[in-house]
Amino acid sequence: MTDDAVVRVRNLRFSYGPGLPDVLRDVDLTIRAGELVALLGQNGAGKTTLAKHLNGLHRPTAGTVEVAGRPVQGQPLAQLARTVGFCYQNPDHQIFSSSVEKEVAFGPHNLGFPPEKVTELVTAALDLVGLSGERDTHPFSLGRGQRQLVAVASVLAMDPPLLVIDEPTTGMDRVGATQVMELLTTWAGSGRSILAITHDMDLVTEYIPRAMVMAGGRILADGPTQDVFRRDDVLKEAHLVAPAPVVISDRLRPYGLPRCRSIAEAVEHIAAVHAGGTCASRL
Amino acid sequence: MPVGYSVYRDTGSAVHRGVDPRTKMAWLLTLFAVALCFNHPLVLGVFMVAVLLVAVAARLRWRDLRGFILLAIWLIALSLIIWPAYISEGRHLARIIGIDFTTDGLLFGLAMGLRITLMIFAAAIWMLTTSPQRITAGLLAIGLPYKVGLALSSTIRFIPLMHAERTTILEAQRARGLDLSRGNPIRRMFRAAPVLVPLFSRAFLTTQTLTVAMDARGFGAGKGRTSIVTLHFGTVDRVLTAAAALTVAVAVLCRVMGWGVLIEGTL
Repeated sequence: MTDDAVVRVRNLRFSYGPGLPDVLRDVDLTIRAGELVALLGQNGAGKTTLAKHLNGLHRPTAGTVEVAGRPVQGQPLAQLARTVGFCYQNPDHQIFSSSVEKEVAFGPHNLGFPPEKVTELVTAALDLVGLSGERDTHPFSLGRGQRQLVAVASVLAMDPPLLVIDEPTTGMDRVGATQVMELLTTWAGSGRSILAITHDMDLVTEYIPRAMVMAGGRILADGPTQDVFRRDDVLKEAHLVAPAPVVISDRLRPYGLPRCRSIAEAVEHIAAVHAGGTCASRL
Repeated sequence: MPVGYSVYRDTGSAVHRGVDPRTKMAWLLTLFAVALCFNHPLVLGVFMVAVLLVAVAARLRWRDLRGFILLAIWLIALSLIIWPAYISEGRHLARIIGIDFTTDGLLFGLAMGLRITLMIFAAAIWMLTTSPQRITAGLLAIGLPYKVGLALSSTIRFIPLMHAERTTILEAQRARGLDLSRGNPIRRMFRAAPVLVPLFSRAFLTTQTLTVAMDARGFGAGKGRTSIVTLHFGTVDRVLTAAAALTVAVAVLCRVMGWGVLIEGTL
């Protein structure tokens, strides 16, 4: 294992029981410190099942899963919670406390951090998600987007080296979704790794540098997001559609438009053409 | 593990297709009556075997029944520990942690465990072999108002849904370091708030959403509601229902006469 590998999965196979078909087949995966990785695929492709192997909710039928240099097998889930933060798609599956602060402090308390450390972690997490002003608010009085941020903060407060986040932007408006992606980028920038399961291809193109595509329990492609989205065979097999910035960039490539991560970036380049000269002449 | 969203398992067996839901309900109530009339483990054991034979005839799989079987083993074991503390009749066998275990105490404990197990299995096989739509249709056919029938079948429908919700919530909280495997049952019960609060909240929210969604689709708009399910109460049903009535009559008679009762004056 390379020194900075946080996750190392080798030849992973998994089925829900004897005689049942494999839902994960020969999965190999390495995630390094500070990497922000998107896991893409149709519903039922095996994304969440794979993710649940990282925090021990599922145990492999065959193969190995190592997180932070230690095999997941044999480690109790409560112990793995120190290393792997898992944020569920629906915040209402985990929120139970009467205030945002208590909710965010739940995880750090479970891990046995001293009170002053818990306060510090909670403050940092709430600052990061922009909910510092809502410490005493009842979480259920917040909107869906803000409850999602509470859920994210409650996992970030545990300060795990690896964060697995399932559909972080589902049900959120564009402003909220952008906010989540920006905080994930900031978090990854501090040296932590993130595996984000998502269907939002536009956000992946704009914010996530590495993408993995799954279909039928296998990883079909793994690489720089811009390259993965240009593999028509992979997108077709995974029933995915390349996001608009990628399509626009490719169509206008003969005219000198570079690869763009967002519509705004493409528009900026096209506008530059109208302002004077071709894309190519400006590159 | 993926959780099924309905208890019902359609194997296409004669128990599923060949028996009217009203007949199954009659037998469900009959088995409840039998379980309450007798308290001899032998009699209850015979009925338990009969119920398991129905499960085999219905081609239910081990996987469908595993949870109920584990629950039954746990209940019988618990009953074998609790009841000897209250029953002193019979031959003395041993004294463990201050409880005198006697033959009658153990047999009565076994009977009480079997009594609950019989009722659970009867209800489980009824739900596993009857679709929610046919349960509702059966309840309507015996004269229950539609809303009551729907409420009952929805309750059954909600069991696996709530189980799935509970599994997800438990996973989410365990991922945040919640460990409910340690400590005594009382402490664990109090520490289960992080699971119970979201579970109840989700249950209320789901119910509220369902109510609004049903209203929006014209629920209760007026009389003359039609149904996609048609029932047929044939000869087999008539014979089985008559047998059920006879079984209840015999069970009540036995109870009055004191037959099939392990210890006089007990439940």
